[in-house]
Amino acid sequence: MTEATDLAERAGDRDPRIGLRAVAALRRLLERLESVQVRSARNQGWSWQEIAAELGVSRQAVHKKYGRQ
Amino acid sequence: MFERFTRGARDVVEGAVGHAERAGDADVTPEHLLLALLDAEGTKAAYACAALGVTDRRDAVTAALAEARRRGGVSEADEGALAGLGIDVGAIVSRVEEAHGEGALERTRTKRRRFTGHRSFARESKEVLEQSLRVAIGRGDRSIGDEHLLLALTVRPGVVRDVLAAHGASYDEVVRVLGTS
Repeated sequence: MTEATDLAERAGDRDPRIGLRAVAALRRLLERLESVQVRSARNQGWSWQEIAAELGVSRQAVHKKYGRQ
Repeated sequence: MFERFTRGARDVVEGAVGHAERAGDADVTPEHLLLALLDAEGTKAAYACAALGVTDRRDAVTAALAEARRRGGVSEADEGALAGLGIDVGAIVSRVEEAHGEGALERTRTKRRRFTGHRSFARESKEVLEQSLRVAIGRGDRSIGDEHLLLALTVRPGVVRDVLAAHGASYDEVVRVLGTS
């Protein structure tokens, strides 16, 4: 964890590499979180329309991304 | 491009497919390429991995890859960068797993049996192969060997680069042990 701690400390130095790394990692995590929540909603009987409305995107977009899983 | 791959590089590509199959994963990812590289014997990549101590720490590398996968593709270095923003990845993973089960954030594995026979390369893996060509050209090499695949993995941002760097195999270190040949 020393590497992680060092990076955390350096984040305060406004190093763009750390900031950009954080953004990229957050994007990956976000994708995974979305997938988990969409799957959970489908398992609970939500329609694609309902899921899309909560995510603020079109029904087609959600269905295209997750419809075949 | 593939006609320029050496026997060693082809073995890594084929080995990666094997790792994906045995894990039941839908795509061949850079993680599978790294695992296949660690299987290599008698090649330049095998030499570099042994010289840097990566081969000896294969279990630790495998564990780090599994842990990053469990955290939704977030490496230890990523975790540190996110902590700088006040985001506690460990807490997020714990809560999601409490609600949705262990490993909930892992990329989903294939459920379609008809895909068991053939696996495609993930976009990231294709980028690694393309990068290996650029690395070979940059080093003035005519063919693409497994050492170029290793170097490509240390260049392309992502979990594999971070795990390699954390275990002593950054791009600079790999270049150093390979020499200028």
